[in-house]
Amino acid sequence: MATDPAQARRGHPGRWPWQVARPRRPVQLALLVLICAGLVVYAWVDAGTAPFSGGALVGVLIPGALLGAIAWGRPPERIPPPDELDLLGTSYWMICLAAFFEWEASAWRDNSWPWHPSFTNLIDPLLAPHLIKSAAILVWLLAGWALVRR
Amino acid sequence: MPPIPTRAITIAGFALAVAAMIVLEILARRPGSRIPTVGQWLGYLMRPKIGRVLVLAGWWWLGWHYFAR
Repeated sequence: MATDPAQARRGHPGRWPWQVARPRRPVQLALLVLICAGLVVYAWVDAGTAPFSGGALVGVLIPGALLGAIAWGRPPERIPPPDELDLLGTSYWMICLAAFFEWEASAWRDNSWPWHPSFTNLIDPLLAPHLIKSAAILVWLLAGWALVRR
Repeated sequence: MPPIPTRAITIAGFALAVAAMIVLEILARRPGSRIPTVGQWLGYLMRPKIGRVLVLAGWWWLGWHYFAR
C-alpha cells in the first residue's frame, strides 16, 4: 500500500542532536563534563607543539592509538547504520565530494603554486593562531569519537 | 574590468564546494529528508570491517596532515 511521502516526513523526526538526545544521570553528566575538559586541555597542549616535531606526531598518535584500541577492543554502543542509502540523496554528496577532490587534485597537479593553492595551503595559515588550532584539534578528536560510535 | 586573479577563482571553488556540503548537511537534518547526513553515509561505509578501518585511517591521516605537519 502506498503511503503519503509528505505525511511520512511529518512523522519522521529531525536528525539534530537535541532531537535525539537521551536523558542522562548526574554522574554521567559529571563524567561527560570531565572528559570534555580533558579533551580541551589536550587540544590546547597539542596545538602548542611545533609542526614536524616529535611532540606533534605523538599528539596525533595517542588519540589514534586510543580510538583504534577502543574501536577494535571495546567498541561503545554503536548507532545503527542505515540498511540502504537513498540513491538521489547520496548522489548530491558524491557530486560535492567529486568537485572538491577534483579541485584539490588540479591544485596538486599544478604543484600548489600561489595562483592555484591546494586546500592545505589555504587552511594552514588559518590554523596558525593557537586558539583556532586548539579548536580544530578538539573538533578532530570529537569527530574521531563520533566515528567510533558509528 | 580588471581580470579576476586565478587565486581568487581557486579559493571561490573550494569555498563553494565546502558551502555546498554544509548546506547538504543542514538539508539532510530536516525531518523526512531523503539526503543522508554525513554520519549516516559514513556509518553505511563503515558497515564492513574494511570500511571501518579505512574511514578511521582517513580520520587519523587528516589529524596528522593538518596538526602534526
